[in-house]
Amino acid sequence: MRSVMCVVVVCVGVSAQTALAADKCLECHGTVGDKPSSLFTRDIHHLKGISCTGCHGGDASAEDMEKAMDRRAGFIGVPKGDDVSAVCARCHSNATTMAGFQSVLPTNQYVLLQSSVHGKLSISGKERIVQCTTCHNAHGIAKVTDPASPVYPVNAVATCARCHGDAKFMRLYNPSLPVDQLAKYRTSVHGVKNAAGDARTAQCASCHGSHDILSVKEVKSKVYPTNIPATCASCHSNAAYMAGYGIPTDQFEKYAKGVHGVALLEKHDLGAPACNNCHGNHGAMPPGVESISKVCGTCHVLNADLFSSSPHKKGFDELGKPECETCHGNHDIVAASNVLLGNFPGAVCSRCHSAQDREKGFVAAGVMRVLIDSLQRADDRARVLVDEAEQKGMEISEAKYKLRDVRQSRLETRTIVHAFSAEKLRETAGKGFATAAGISAEAEHAIDEYYFRRVGLGVATFSITVLAVSLYLYIRRLERKQRQAEAVHY
Amino acid sequence: MKTIWNRLYAWIDERVQLNDLVTFMAKKYVPVHRGSIWYYFGGVSLFLFIIQVVTGILLLLYYKGSDSLAFESIQFIMSKVTFGWLIRSIHSWTANLFIFAVLIHMFSVFFERAYRRPREVTWLTGMLMLFIGLGFGFSGYLLPWNELAFFATKVGTDIAGVIPVVGKPIMIFLRGGPDVTGATLSRFFGFHIAVLPGIFTVLLAIHLLLVQRQGMSQPQEFESTPDDSKKTMPFFPNFLLRDLLFWLIVLNILAMLAVFFPWELGRKADPFAPAPAGIRPEWYFLFMFQSLKYIPARLWFIDGEILGVLLFGAAGLLWLLVPFWDRKSSRGGRNRLITYIGLFVVVYIITFTLLGWFL
Repeated sequence: MRSVMCVVVVCVGVSAQTALAADKCLECHGTVGDKPSSLFTRDIHHLKGISCTGCHGGDASAEDMEKAMDRRAGFIGVPKGDDVSAVCARCHSNATTMAGFQSVLPTNQYVLLQSSVHGKLSISGKERIVQCTTCHNAHGIAKVTDPASPVYPVNAVATCARCHGDAKFMRLYNPSLPVDQLAKYRTSVHGVKNAAGDARTAQCASCHGSHDILSVKEVKSKVYPTNIPATCASCHSNAAYMAGYGIPTDQFEKYAKGVHGVALLEKHDLGAPACNNCHGNHGAMPPGVESISKVCGTCHVLNADLFSSSPHKKGFDELGKPECETCHGNHDIVAASNVLLGNFPGAVCSRCHSAQDREKGFVAAGVMRVLIDSLQRADDRARVLVDEAEQKGMEISEAKYKLRDVRQSRLETRTIVHAFSAEKLRETAGKGFATAAGISAEAEHAIDEYYFRRVGLGVATFSITVLAVSLYLYIRRLERKQRQAEAVHY
Repeated sequence: MKTIWNRLYAWIDERVQLNDLVTFMAKKYVPVHRGSIWYYFGGVSLFLFIIQVVTGILLLLYYKGSDSLAFESIQFIMSKVTFGWLIRSIHSWTANLFIFAVLIHMFSVFFERAYRRPREVTWLTGMLMLFIGLGFGFSGYLLPWNELAFFATKVGTDIAGVIPVVGKPIMIFLRGGPDVTGATLSRFFGFHIAVLPGIFTVLLAIHLLLVQRQGMSQPQEFESTPDDSKKTMPFFPNFLLRDLLFWLIVLNILAMLAVFFPWELGRKADPFAPAPAGIRPEWYFLFMFQSLKYIPARLWFIDGEILGVLLFGAAGLLWLLVPFWDRKSSRGGRNRLITYIGLFVVVYIITFTLLGWFL
């Protein structure tokens, strides 16, 4: 078996050498010493035995230059515009041809490129924005795993930045698209490792794709908000792939169960944050302990402001505790509920504020919980009474509308909790208590009115019936008298 | 006590000759026969109309006839005004009972041929009052400016718009523009509280005057009964007291309906919202609405809807003019065709109303 293999390898080698020896194009151009022929000598295609005529056509065996570059021999010269990619696609989109070269490359790159954001027409309107050569170069093409390739992971970022870092060029196509992605990337964990030569770390193509890059606005894009967690998870949830990096791989699992994950992935709420909203996208990096409230505060503005001016800010900084994360967690953030608050076991406040110390924070946490629970009970009661009045057919729409104000007050109290001041919370909750009390009174009045109407109807019906019966009896008496009078008359 | 009443009566009599009226009424006799009960529905209709006027005036104290305030003002009446809920509910229920009572009154007159000479004008004024009553219902339905009323008015005025030649101008006139808007509400409000009541009052005065002058119509078989076998009762006080008894019964029914089934307000109309499911007119228009649904879109050379509207128009006109083409009844003959037509119409209206209600 081994001898058979040796024969095959020797034969393929001899065949390639023969082909190369017969490539008169390279022979002449090599003599001239031009750059394309010089680059082509280390091109993967050259190494696979493909001559210049593979792309340019003509006759590579002809000694005579006129005959070698004769149009009748299929010479096409230097392909222009979309012809460039079409020439590549002649082989790269042909599975049989590619199989002949023992290639394992997919054969749909050309199709994907055409339907990608780069496959749109350029400003000239005559060709697509990007051709294969834009990223892979024309001569001297190397395998993507070859560090010499412009699309080798470590080099890809610079390759993309040739256009995406060029403000003048990008303005022609998308003036609002930033051009500082590379600069940001270099500050990220990914960028730092990439610059250090780590080809496994994420680079542009890892998140955006390669031939199939779509605009971020496209729902199918790998970086469309709802797809981002899965894109990040393709590496970060792969324990084997992440083995050498020493970070957990359960972030996606936790995130998907958390309030943000449920909102984004299940409810498709595009306002909910994906990984990049907290970690950054091109400059992805876990937020530092001291900046967590700022990061969360990009959405939860009031909560962050209240926290920053609260006594907790200083304490957390001194203790080195991450701000929002200490109480709410990070990837697996659960929907905030009243149970987080309070001074009993299970409440997050009690993790630091203990009963033994009887300190101010312990008392305040208890008071705040009582207030927030009481407001919820007042809201529930008002709601029940309004429902009851409505079911009894009473006009209660105004009170029903005001229930929104109580709900708003409850939301405000949940926000004001982040000031960690029982007094401030009491003040905010006070408005909600007053509104809920007003609604309850109105609903109770409507319910009382309902019973009053029934009693009133009973009284009225009875009176009218008595009157009607009396009238009936009166008519009978009257007519009896009339009949008697008539009888006397006759 | 009696002296006070006698003195008061004498005081009024001295000034308006009340005695003449009482004498006139006391000499007026109402025929008593197996169909006498139908006489009371005229009085019931009058009673319900009076309730409508009184409750309507009370509602006017708070109602605001503009698209931005109408709904809210009704909401205010129902939730904040003392007994406002009762007044509004009674007004709404009475409107329906009024149409119902008038329909019974009209059909009883029709089947008894009470329209025959010399009561053609009484019939005409009665029929016109029925049409105006329907106008009251149609215009009043929109006034709360709720979702159902808005779209029902849109559909209703659309149907008016299909009448050839005059339909479109009528529709524009009714709506105050090409669409149902606040302008439609304003003019419907105007029709409801000024134009229609004005015309109705004149017709009612003529109708009542004629009823008093000509007396109650006697059925044909009653007329042929010998005078000594005819049973009658004095209009005053016997008939009037029985009338009053009926009114009390109706008032009781009305109170129960208003309390147990308060008239709902629904949701405020939103002209930009899609029409909700189950849009249909008030029950008394339902038989026509349902009939139009069954007519094919195109029949022979004419649009189905136009044909339907024209047929109903022609039928209404024939019905209105029945005293003038039913000469046989006027001559004292028994015209069975009238009974058959009347029965067909009653069965048709009931069937199509039920179909419209339950389908």
